[in-house]
Amino acid sequence: MELTAEITSRKPSAIIQPRKGLFQLNLRDVWNYRELLYFLVWRDVKVRYKQTAIGAAWAIFQPLITMVIFTLLFGKFAKFPSDGIPYPVFAFVALLPWTYFAQALSQSSSSVVGSSNLVTKIYFPRLLIPLAASVAPLVDLFFSLLVLVGLMFWFRITPSLGLLALPLFLVLAILTALSVGLWSSALNVRYRDVGHTIPFLIQVWMYASPVAYPVSMVPERWRLLYSLNPMVGVIEGFRWALIGKRSPDFMAMAISLVMVMVILFGGIVYFKKMERSFADVI
Amino acid sequence: MNDIAIRMENISKQYNIGASHYRHNTLRDQLMDSLKSAFRRKEQSCSGENNFWALKDVSFEIKQGEIVGIIGHNGAGKSTLLKILSRITEPTDGLGEIYGRVGSLLEVGTGFHPELTGRENIYLNGAIIGMRKEEINRCFDAIVDFAEIDTFIDMPVKRYSSGMYVRLAFAVSAHLKPEILLVDEVLSVGDLRFQRKCMNYAEELRKSGATVVFVSHNMFSIKSICNRVIYLSGGRIQADGLTQEVIPLFEKESRTGYNKHPQAVAGSGSSEPSIHITGMELLDESGVNRAVFNFGERMRVRLSYSAPQGIRDPNFVVALIRSDNVACCNYSTHLDGYSIPSLCGDGTIEVLTPPLKIVSESYSIHVIVWDKSFQQMYCFHKGISFHVQHHLYSTHFGVFHEEGEWVIPDGVVNSRSTDCSGGLPQ
Repeated sequence: MELTAEITSRKPSAIIQPRKGLFQLNLRDVWNYRELLYFLVWRDVKVRYKQTAIGAAWAIFQPLITMVIFTLLFGKFAKFPSDGIPYPVFAFVALLPWTYFAQALSQSSSSVVGSSNLVTKIYFPRLLIPLAASVAPLVDLFFSLLVLVGLMFWFRITPSLGLLALPLFLVLAILTALSVGLWSSALNVRYRDVGHTIPFLIQVWMYASPVAYPVSMVPERWRLLYSLNPMVGVIEGFRWALIGKRSPDFMAMAISLVMVMVILFGGIVYFKKMERSFADVI
Repeated sequence: MNDIAIRMENISKQYNIGASHYRHNTLRDQLMDSLKSAFRRKEQSCSGENNFWALKDVSFEIKQGEIVGIIGHNGAGKSTLLKILSRITEPTDGLGEIYGRVGSLLEVGTGFHPELTGRENIYLNGAIIGMRKEEINRCFDAIVDFAEIDTFIDMPVKRYSSGMYVRLAFAVSAHLKPEILLVDEVLSVGDLRFQRKCMNYAEELRKSGATVVFVSHNMFSIKSICNRVIYLSGGRIQADGLTQEVIPLFEKESRTGYNKHPQAVAGSGSSEPSIHITGMELLDESGVNRAVFNFGERMRVRLSYSAPQGIRDPNFVVALIRSDNVACCNYSTHLDGYSIPSLCGDGTIEVLTPPLKIVSESYSIHVIVWDKSFQQMYCFHKGISFHVQHHLYSTHFGVFHEEGEWVIPDGVVNSRSTDCSGGLPQ
């Protein structure tokens, strides 16, 4: 009978009606369901390395081996400049956010379709799905961060005060992955083509980001266009914060930030618009 | 007015079927089709035929503490209504208000991950169906007890037997204590023990004052827990009222759901069935119309037929089908040794069953007319339903109950009984 007392406040706890406006985003709902977000992330992290022989070591191997290959190919043979930093560290610092981004993007793209059993059976803010998928790979990032610390010890590189700004760039990396992931996950519900496009897109995107080479290699007049890629800002930020790269491209970072905000906002609006028909179309 | 739990006003839901964009799974399809339709536009008015209203102007209010059943035939909009109520999908039009914390169970074990252990899945599934973490912590032991899996709790659920899996899934659901519970009929599949648990859970919720909306095909479970029924037909509310008033309407409607299957089975050459069942009546031994029979009573099924062109060797089959689609028994003119060489024109035929020994449940009658060798089906008719009553013999006891003859045989030495007899109290 305690229920009766609770319901005496006569405000409906939920309103059911067709959403008309584009900007009825109802983000507070996401906050109310934060505990579920936690469990979804927790599930993704738990499940990821189940029934693997070396478990979480995979989180380190992938960027580490890529770094070795890059060092050989681009550092030793092609002799790419690395802004005065030992090439292995130079590449690895960039591979941290890049590996995270690639994983987060590919997982969030398939996240909604992969959760069709949830989407058709129960209500919760659908935004949680790509959100959880883009947060979960952070765990891998932290593991490789430890490797980086080891590398920096080896090469005797001390981080500068810029280290304090690292969380900011981490957030920027998450937002970048999320913003694109929102678009692709919603599109994927209707057009499964997205599933085939994403791996290719990620591959191309890597060459368009300063992972293996420094931004300074990009000709000055293309720099502005180049900086429209939000990952440019993220990677530049990581290099600056972690290994104290001199004269980072603050302009590129600012442009990246603006780009991310635009894509993110558009992504949320688009996702919320498409969300209404998820259960019917999926 | 202060005790409303759910209010729905003119809720409508439209689906696009056929050549709509919902069917496209690839961009190419969409591009091709928009190209095509660009050329076709003149001949075909685009709206109308491809749109289909799964629900149209559905309005109702449900008071707090009511247990409401939603019934209707397949495609009547029951599941759509439930999906709208649980906010899985949005209505195309209309306004709904919900007062209270909603729990919706469209299936049990939503979001279970096979790789995770039972313990982990309890937390995951609990969070998905809307329980708070501290709530799950509090109920955790009770859930494990309920599911009867204590020693397997730290094993991945992919190694569970299907029974354990369902028990665990249901155990979590049964500890959700919402103010408003929306349940789909999927809960009423599964074994009988499981169904009974579902019913007990609904009953407990009812006692706690919660509102329950229950979608089902199973009239028996509706009758046993709902005090109000909303009957949907073609996306509209056909009737809304007390259970005992609405269910007869639904059953009457089902009866007119005439099903002519003249040549569902190979062999029939003509397109026109050579025999129809035009009517069906249920009577007791003395010839009085009845819909409820006591266990052990005999039932008279009277069929009216029409065979305008005449028919040779018809073989009438009357089957009793339980509400969960279990075929319980068949009476057949041919097998029961009553041969009909030929029939022509209109007439009636009757079968008087032996004393009904099927357990207390709701049954419906299917009538099929075959040829003598069950090779060719002339017609199929889904008919009236009726109830069998017995205070004890429910589906727990099986499909039917027949008394056995018990005896302690004399010739066999039964050491235990002789041993104890001395020690028994006088």
